[in-house]
Amino acid sequence: MTPELQHAMKPESTLDELARGRFVSGIRSLILNDLAGDLRVAYDTRAEPAFRKAEGRVPQTSREAHLALRGDPAFNIYSAMRVQAQKMVWASVADSVAREGDRLAQEAAKVAGAPGDLTLDPALNIPRNVSAIDVHLMPGSYTRGGERLEAGAVYDRGLAVFSMGLMGANLDDIGLSMAKYVSLRHTDFAPKRILDTGCTIGHNTLPWKQAYPEAEVIAIDAAPGPLAYGSARAKLQGQEVAFRQMCADSLAFPDASFDLVWSSMFLHELSKKTRAKALAEAYRVLRPGGLMLHMELPPNGEMSAFDGFYLDWDSYYNQEPFYKGYRDESPPEMCARAGFAAEDYFQFVVPSIGIYGEQAIADMVANDKAEAVGQATTGRLAEGVMWFGYGAWKR
Amino acid sequence: MSEDLRPEDAPAEIYDAAGNARFFADPAMERFVAVMMNLAQEVWVQEERLLALEEAKGAAPADREAKLKQFIDRVFEPVRGA
Repeated sequence: MTPELQHAMKPESTLDELARGRFVSGIRSLILNDLAGDLRVAYDTRAEPAFRKAEGRVPQTSREAHLALRGDPAFNIYSAMRVQAQKMVWASVADSVAREGDRLAQEAAKVAGAPGDLTLDPALNIPRNVSAIDVHLMPGSYTRGGERLEAGAVYDRGLAVFSMGLMGANLDDIGLSMAKYVSLRHTDFAPKRILDTGCTIGHNTLPWKQAYPEAEVIAIDAAPGPLAYGSARAKLQGQEVAFRQMCADSLAFPDASFDLVWSSMFLHELSKKTRAKALAEAYRVLRPGGLMLHMELPPNGEMSAFDGFYLDWDSYYNQEPFYKGYRDESPPEMCARAGFAAEDYFQFVVPSIGIYGEQAIADMVANDKAEAVGQATTGRLAEGVMWFGYGAWKR
Repeated sequence: MSEDLRPEDAPAEIYDAAGNARFFADPAMERFVAVMMNLAQEVWVQEERLLALEEAKGAAPADREAKLKQFIDRVFEPVRGA
């Protein structure tokens, strides 16, 4: 199902547009649940035995699982349909965004004076990983329409179709789940200043303002249009967040000026070099006692060859070129290189608050139990999804 | 996709000359899959129009999600278990 967005910039869709969006959510559910199951069977019964026969051993890495599956009928149909479904996600919202440009601008103008700054930087050199490829096969990527609301609207509406309801009606399930976990697990932690890096439209920024309403929350991104949209989106929901155009690997903030540096589904969009700089910047701007926390895909090192490749598929076929390189890295080693002490690193898997409910997170905290990475549920946008998080405290 | 923004270990043969992913020996198959999915989507749009007309004439509201699942399962049954 496609959730109805919870703010005034939600689409005023025609019946045909609603039907198209519903179909795309439905076909994605078939692909990501049923055809994914067929893919697993094909791997176990054809691809893996054929690889074992040829190599004398089972596939040991995501790359080997990929090569074993290439050419298999189940892989071909799963992949071809998934690529087309991804294109249909964005196509299903293109007409409403084009038609409603003026109305979106009017809605944004109504709340322009509400608390929460928007600061764009026309001189910023937008990185090529943001501007030179259609990330997630999204036409025009995050820079579509420049500073206009267009890219943000496409992303917001498209994500609603893409997520099949698994990210919540406000597309904030990741932020809500993680903020709930942190607030319950670390009851003495009361951040006064929070930074969200790579926020796009701020959908997973707002839960932190809700969890810590007294905190000053700042959200940054390199692309201007999604920031402009995100600022209006936050104001329309009565949330005071400052949005600033800035790159995470070059933060214009003083040392030791934040208590929490957060990101969600962001680090995998950066090159290895830029990612290392972003993590070092997070360390620099954190105060002693502060927390760096990232929600991301689980690392390949904790997954089987097949399950690792299942996630890495996006790297090759969904215009996510750094996705696999990111997942091949070790989160504790990345944090250590950024300056954090090894013993201050932690990771966890949190149940989706929308699927499992708040009590599941409370139970997890009460039992002091951090879920292990589930091969078929962690990070996989399908039935029963759970979210992987990791971070470190700064001494 | 420009080559410097491809995954560093991507086998060259998985993309066509324009940088698009390819899965079938005959590139027409990629287009055929896309056409079939677009066509199924447009058939579903017509189905929802019919449901709306029937409801306007007094029929009970239809469970569109359940009907869509039945529709998709029926249309795409041949690709299951590939």
